[in-house]
This record gives sequence, structure tokens and C-alpha cells, in this order.
Amino acid sequence: MNGWWTRPLMRLLAALLLPFAVPGIITALIWALPGDPAEIICPPELCGGTAELSARWHLDQGPWNYYRLWVDAAFHGDFGNSWRYLQGAPVRDLLENAVPTTIVLLAAGMVPVLLAAILGASGRVPRAVVPVFSAFGLVPAVVLALLAAAAVELKFGANSFGDDGVRVRLLAGALVLGLADGAFSDTLSGVGALFSGERKQRYVQVAVLRGERVLANVLPNITPALVGQMRARTLQLVSGTVVVEVVLKIDGVGDLLWNGTLLQDFGVVIPAATAYAVLSAVLLGVQAVVEVGVALWVRRAPRASPAAAVVAATGVA
Amino acid sequence: MNRWVPALAALAIFATLVALGWLAPEHLSDSDMSRKLLSWSEAPPFGTDRSGRPLLEYAMQGARVVVLPAVLAGVAVGMMGVFGGLLRCVGDARVDTVVAGFGEVLGALPRMVVILVVATLIPSTARGLLPLALVWALLCSPGAMDEAAAVSERLGGARFVEALRAHGFSWNRIFLYHIVALNLRPVVVRQACETMTQVTFLELALSYLSVVKEVSSFTHPDSLRSWADLLNIGYSSLVVPNLGTGHVLVTGLFLVGCVVLFARLGSYAARAR
Repeated sequence: MNGWWTRPLMRLLAALLLPFAVPGIITALIWALPGDPAEIICPPELCGGTAELSARWHLDQGPWNYYRLWVDAAFHGDFGNSWRYLQGAPVRDLLENAVPTTIVLLAAGMVPVLLAAILGASGRVPRAVVPVFSAFGLVPAVVLALLAAAAVELKFGANSFGDDGVRVRLLAGALVLGLADGAFSDTLSGVGALFSGERKQRYVQVAVLRGERVLANVLPNITPALVGQMRARTLQLVSGTVVVEVVLKIDGVGDLLWNGTLLQDFGVVIPAATAYAVLSAVLLGVQAVVEVGVALWVRRAPRASPAAAVVAATGVA
Repeated sequence: MNRWVPALAALAIFATLVALGWLAPEHLSDSDMSRKLLSWSEAPPFGTDRSGRPLLEYAMQGARVVVLPAVLAGVAVGMMGVFGGLLRCVGDARVDTVVAGFGEVLGALPRMVVILVVATLIPSTARGLLPLALVWALLCSPGAMDEAAAVSERLGGARFVEALRAHGFSWNRIFLYHIVALNLRPVVVRQACETMTQVTFLELALSYLSVVKEVSSFTHPDSLRSWADLLNIGYSSLVVPNLGTGHVLVTGLFLVGCVVLFARLGSYAARAR
């Protein structure tokens, strides 16, 4: 079970499972909670018609039926309705607004991380600067987001929710994501260590003596580790979006998930968590595909003509 | 630098935080408007809030919220790290594969999302940081196990154990002393310290997000205050100048800094020779 394909296969299986497992586990846990799930939406002491509501939202026939119908509807683009946050509002509409915002935030947040990766790979960052970045990386996202929120409010005041304000909030959020919790500094040191370790290998030094480029030799060997590191960083950023979006008042999936969590609104929590699961599955899938691609590339048999093979075997040209 | 200096400093910070938490009052004292917003020097050690209550009480209650769950989470991650390292020394490929699969699935999801889902499922009467901290520890364990396993791998894994057995060492001495104490220690202690810091940050984030939305926190009862309350009160000084709450923000940041410093010193003290 220790073949080169074991890990990529595991990742692919996990990637396929995650989007189904996450809503499944949450659904199972809802039913594991004490009381009837319908009472979460409509407590009998506060409102009547709990039974009708239960039937309407498929909560009356057990967890499996609810899960099956939810997954079936989700495949058709229907993610159900909010239970409490915006009671009755289609979650699809909420996600349509939130997902693009979060993706833009994430993409912008990846810029400092990619910059750190390039700087780390180049090995041209002065050693004296690294501890400064590391110290800065110790700042938690919530503290940096708080400072960023203050800066935006000072700059824009009452207009901080206008178009310009929203853009600056996104930019500030991206900077927070890319710098806080060691996102920049850890990428810098992690990628730097990966490249510098590989550059010291004998095969690289021989390749340099042969006049070949370092990167072309190093890249196939470190790509799997590099992709693994970048996936971990991306996940870290995705995790940070919740804090950044709430503190900076950015209307993304993280903010939506937080609002759903506060109100125990499973109608929102399940789709929002599934959206994150899909994103995680995509990241896992990309890593697996890259690993398989690199493994096949590295294991490719060298092409040699029959004549060259005879020369190699006999030493006679 | 001698490793005893950072070790003692880390121990001193830890002991202070434990003492703060241990001695924390059940409720904040009554407000005294004649003492509102006093600075560090006017009402040592941290000054007072807008109602004249000492910020020391906030610090103590915040420590009470954080210390035990953070320590338990750190210990749990450390134990998992040791387990991962020892498992690699056993040299069973099937077990390795199962552990790798477990890590793959656990590590695939964004941690904060998992924490929020778990927080949703905890009944409001049973809210507290401990269950969330333990879930966080579970999510951190694959990384700790992986790193510890890599250390064991570099050590030689099962061959290292065989070699020491050939020298006549007992199993306890091989596993507990040679592998855990001498080789896995730096990784395990660092991972545990990092987890403790992360749990503190998690509490800070969850409480701050609750404070922003003006709802009860997932991490502590309403009678207690978190360090996030200090950040929230102090935040106003950033937006509105001359409000006089700057010292509250500095106190909050100072306490967070103490936790970070503890983790760094602890990791430094446990580093390999």
C-alpha cells in the first residue's frame, strides 16, 4: 500500500467524498441533537404549525430522507431556505451574492502568498529580513483585521459601505489574509527551505556543471511538496475568511456561515459548509492530479534509439 | 543561549496565566464612574474600563476562559504527535496508510469551518471553549503526527529500534527516552505550544465576532469576559481619537503577546541540541 499512487488516490477519494460527507455529517448531527429538528426553526412555545413546517422542509421523515432530498435538490441548484437568519429566503440567492465575494477575497489574499513563494524560491531574501517577517506573522488575523477595519473606517467614515469603501474593505481583507497568522512568513520560509534543500542535492550540482538550469532539474522533484504547501496555505486563507469577513463586514460565505452559526440556522450552515467542502475538494483534487502528473513524468522511460542502446551496451560506436 | 533561560521565562508566563485564571472573580466588580478610564499608572496594573472596573478582572476572566482548554488541546496534540512518531518506528505500512488517510480527510477542511459547524451543534446550555479546543486539537493532530513521523523516519524508524534492542536496551528506554525524550521532544513541544496559541487565538476570534454581533459567545458564559472584550473596547480608540480607551487595547494586545511569547520561548527551550 506504499506505491506512489497511494497518496494521490487517497486525496482523490477524499475529494470525491467531502462534498457529500459534510452535509451528511451535519444532517446526522442535527438529528442527534435533543428534540425535533423542526423545533429549532419553530419552537412550539413560540409559534404554531411546527408539524406543517416540518413536512414542508422534509424534516418529518428522518435524516436519510432529508439528506437525500437536499443533495438531490442541490444538484439542481436549489440549496433550500434559511431557517432563522433570513427565514424563508432561498439560500441559493444568499450564496450567489456571497460566493463571488469570497472568491475575489481569496484570490486577492493569495497574491502576497504567491509573492512570498516566489521570493522564497528565488532565495534572494536577505536573512536579516526573515525574522522581521516571522515576527509580523505572529499577529493573529483577528487583531490585524481589527486594525484594518479601523483604518478603513477612519479613511471613509460613513461612506465605508459605498462602492469605494467595499473595494477597500476587500483589499484590506486580502492583505490581512495574506499577512496574518504567518501566511506570508511561513510561505517564505517553507518554500525557501524546500528550494534551498533541493539545490544542495548532488544531481542539481552535476546538472549545473553540465550547463543545465537549476529550476528545470529541481521542479519535478519538489512540485508535489510545493503543491502540498500551497494547498495548506490556501486552506489557511479559506479558514481565515470567516474572521476577516465578519470583522471587516464583507458579505461573503464566511459571514453567511457565521450568521447561520449564531442563530443555529442549519438551512444556511449546511450549504455554506458544503460550499467550503467543495472548495476543499477542488484543492485536494488539484493536488492529486499534479502529483499523478509529476509521478508519470518522472517515471517516464527515457527514449533511446536501438543504435544508442547498442553503443551503451558494448561501448563500440 | 542556555535553554534554561527561555524555559524559566516560559514557565513564569504560564504560571502567571494559570494564577490569573485560578484567581479570576466570578463576576466583574460593580461600576465606579469616579474611576473610569484610568491609565496603567493611575490604577495598576492595567487601568480601568469605561465603568471604572479594573481591567485586571478582564485579564483574569479571559485567562480563566482560555488556560485549561488551551493546555488540554496542547497536551492532546503532543500525545498525538508522540503516537505518530512511535507508530513510524513500528514500521507497519498498513497502519501508516490508515493514519495517512485519517490525516488526509481531517486536514482537508478549513479548520474554522469545522469549528463553526461544531459550535452550531453544541446546545447553548453546554457552550464552552473546551469542546471547540479539543476539536481544534483533533484537526491539528495530523500535522503533528506527520512531522513527528518524519523525525522518526530520519532517525531510521524500525531499524533504529532494532539497533537499540541489539544493544540490550529495554523497550521503555528505547521508546520513552531515546525516541520521545531525545528526538521527538522538539517537534512535540513546539506543536503543543503552537496549538495552545492557536486555541487562544480561536477564543479571541470567536468571542470578538460574537461581541461585534452583540450576541453571547460560544466560548464562555455571559458572566465572564474574554480578552476579546478588551480589544473591542480598545478598538473605539482607533476610530475615535481622544476617547481614552487606548490603554484597554494595549492591555488586550499585551495579553495576546504574552501567550505568543510563551509559545515561542517554550518551543525554543525544547529545541534539539
